[in-house]
Amino acid sequence: MDMSGLSSAEQAQMVQIIEKKQMRDFMNLYSSLVERCFTSCCNDFTSRALSSKEEGCLKNCAEKFMKYSERAGARFAEENAEQMQKQQQK
Amino acid sequence: MSFFGGSRNGGGLNNERIEAAMHEMEMITDVFNRMVSSCHAKCVNTRYADAELSKGESVCVDRCIGKYFEANKLVGETLNSTAQAAGGGGMGSSPMGM
Repeated sequence: MDMSGLSSAEQAQMVQIIEKKQMRDFMNLYSSLVERCFTSCCNDFTSRALSSKEEGCLKNCAEKFMKYSERAGARFAEENAEQMQKQQQK
Repeated sequence: MSFFGGSRNGGGLNNERIEAAMHEMEMITDVFNRMVSSCHAKCVNTRYADAELSKGESVCVDRCIGKYFEANKLVGETLNSTAQAAGGGGMGSSPMGM
């Protein structure tokens, strides 16, 4: 995102807005991750406690998703930068 | 509103510009979230036997993100040209200012 058209006061305000948004996004990420992992991993309700298999699955799910998210974010940033460069060259 | 008389770049706060920047950012975030969700569904095995991304999954993710970007661009261009052909450029300028 290009903030060069904004004055420094506006940029400061945008930074604040972005920080708040990031916190909200993190909370959303957390709750959607719980739902995602629960849906995939927990399908046996013969017992209330988590089985060791379910525990392992949940841990793997969470870790895997975070690694995936990191990779996707990196690729996204690369593509975005490339596209912005192409637009500026036009 | 501002001491410097409004929308000049060197001046104070212009709420219109802030709002435009905010909308752009929200749009980008939305695209990103949907991209993450789609590519996860398409590329990542939900058996979760392992905490690491396999090589196949990693390659799939890379390609998926790239493809999603291309698809995004193409759909945007198609929407724009359809809207313009339908008369009057109803959607205005492209929202693809990412």
